[in-house]
Amino acid sequence: MAKYLIPLTLLLAAGLAQAAPAVEDDGFTNPMEQLQFNPYLDQREFERSTLGALNVYDPWESWNRRVYHFNYRADEWVLLPVVRGYRYVTPGFVRSGVSNFFSNLGDIPNLLNSLLQFKGKRSLQTTGRLLVNTTIGIAGLWDPATRMGLPKQNEDFGQTLGFYGVPDGPYVVLPLLGPSNLRDTGGRVVDFVADSQINYLNVPEVSRDHPEIFALRVVDTRHTTNFRYGQLNSPFEYEKVRYVYHEARKLQIAE
Amino acid sequence: MSRLAPCAALLCGLLFGAPALAADIDVASYGYPLANPFEATIATTPPELRSKVPSDDDIDQADYDLKLRPEREFELPDNFWPVKKLRYRLAEQSGRAPLIFIISGTGASYASGKTEDLKRLFYGAGYHVVQLSSPTSYDFMSAASRTATPGLSGPDAEDLYRVMIAVRAQHPELDVSDFHLTGYSLGALNAAFVAELDDRLRSFNFKRVLLLNPPVNLYTSVSNLDRLVQTRVKGIDNRTTYFELVLNKLTRYFEEQGYVDLNEALLYDFQQSGQKLSDEQLAMLIGSSFRFSVSDMAFTADLINRRGLIVPPNYPISESTSLTPFFKRALQCDFDCYIVDQLMPFWRDKFNGGSLPQLVDQVSLYALEDYLKKSPKVAVMHNADDLILGPGDLGFLRRTFGERLTVYPRGGHCGNLNYSVNGDAMLEFFRG
Repeated sequence: MAKYLIPLTLLLAAGLAQAAPAVEDDGFTNPMEQLQFNPYLDQREFERSTLGALNVYDPWESWNRRVYHFNYRADEWVLLPVVRGYRYVTPGFVRSGVSNFFSNLGDIPNLLNSLLQFKGKRSLQTTGRLLVNTTIGIAGLWDPATRMGLPKQNEDFGQTLGFYGVPDGPYVVLPLLGPSNLRDTGGRVVDFVADSQINYLNVPEVSRDHPEIFALRVVDTRHTTNFRYGQLNSPFEYEKVRYVYHEARKLQIAE
Repeated sequence: MSRLAPCAALLCGLLFGAPALAADIDVASYGYPLANPFEATIATTPPELRSKVPSDDDIDQADYDLKLRPEREFELPDNFWPVKKLRYRLAEQSGRAPLIFIISGTGASYASGKTEDLKRLFYGAGYHVVQLSSPTSYDFMSAASRTATPGLSGPDAEDLYRVMIAVRAQHPELDVSDFHLTGYSLGALNAAFVAELDDRLRSFNFKRVLLLNPPVNLYTSVSNLDRLVQTRVKGIDNRTTYFELVLNKLTRYFEEQGYVDLNEALLYDFQQSGQKLSDEQLAMLIGSSFRFSVSDMAFTADLINRRGLIVPPNYPISESTSLTPFFKRALQCDFDCYIVDQLMPFWRDKFNGGSLPQLVDQVSLYALEDYLKKSPKVAVMHNADDLILGPGDLGFLRRTFGERLTVYPRGGHCGNLNYSVNGDAMLEFFRG
């Protein structure tokens, strides 16, 4: 019996030995093998990059953080409930009409700032948008221009200032409006004044007597802004938003 | 001797059993276009190939809060006010319907992109859907975790289970026919442990449980993720950091395009352009995203347990306190550092733990091997090129799940979850 047992165990062992590579050969393609690694795995590039990214000029940080929390609460307790109510009572086509209408008004500062930066093609496109949307789109309620290949391209006075080399200045969190910096805050004021001076479609003037138009604009702005506080789900959301704002503005100015 | 060979074969067959074969999908019939696992992980599926899902306007959903750990009201600093209650999202069907819980992946909240995609898929197929944050996310740690030291799969599953029971209790009017459970990435591992727990406690009697891209050996997975930021990346020097490199490429890409269009296909189009990132650079990007999750986790665990590794205990923190110095410190910590500095000492202290291999055995799928083998309701979908797996992991899944395992040839880590073929397979599995 023992005579048979030994070859049997040997065979079994051989079977196991053969099965081992078969299990290894389980269809796994091991993507990590395709990468080239730093030989000692002691690269500190992630740390270096992130520490660099935290370097945003923010001398008013403790004030900014307070405003950030104020905005977070205002958003949770006032703005978002209002937006939810707005979405509940209005059908989708009304909301998109409202968004298109205000978006069409916003093309006026877009055009001005494109001109100020001598962006010829963009100025022509935005002029085309204004003409098409105000006429065929019936005062901007529809947006046929985008379908005709004239995409909306935002330009604000902060970007214009950046285009002429004005530095960011300190980071600022504006009450209700959110992240900004000193340069862009100035830009916002200029855009606002220009908007009310040009008085396109009479809307800024009528809004003065009818604050509900302004309120609708605020609700629409929140409705179309996708950002939600807490969305990044991080205790360091303030830092991350600050970095993203800083870089996004650099990108917008560069393009 | 000639009789010995069939004899041995029979014996082998008896000893090892003839395993039922996993469903292997071949590349040609699968049709997923991204062959590069790193691109697939980041860009996911091209928009035109995604599952058809309802838009947000067609989903009746709301966020709800649960107060599970009232003592945290006093333990947590003021600037944690948004996470003193646990928030989750419920999408309701109008009548009687099955309910599915979705557990998010590492560091992800209930509202993260992949969880939302899965919600839309299941809601469109007629399920009530409850979206839950991962036990490793900062909101869950603050508001729902008893220990605030995630990583021990058993206690994490108990926390999740408690949350699920509280969710059920908050909606007594909700008409539920059956309960189902799913999770992706780490959430899939959590789902497996929750399923096992439920089979003992029977609060839900889950009808079906689907694990999407689970880690098999948790330590292999986190080591892989740690290593992703160690790839050799070209183009970084003393003046340019890695992030700047990526942003410069993005800027040049937009300049070539002539306009900025942040749409769903952006990453996909970007990788088709001249500015495309190399595999090493993509790996670095994936690794960075996980490192951010770890730093959140390490910081929150340290703060709540007052371990003093990142935040000095009793350091006064108000809403105006700068957290940047702590962020800088937390960013130095990778998964390995979290395990060594926080998880292991805690496990030894509270659970009488032993060595690292013992910990790995306890928290990985290995711990549930027997349960999973004899539980026909639990199935797995995985990818042959998933970067959180190591050699032998797919073999373990094949042995354990047999025909309940589906292996897709492509998709990287969770990149094909929103692919229509995967979506159909998921719905088919739950339809039973």
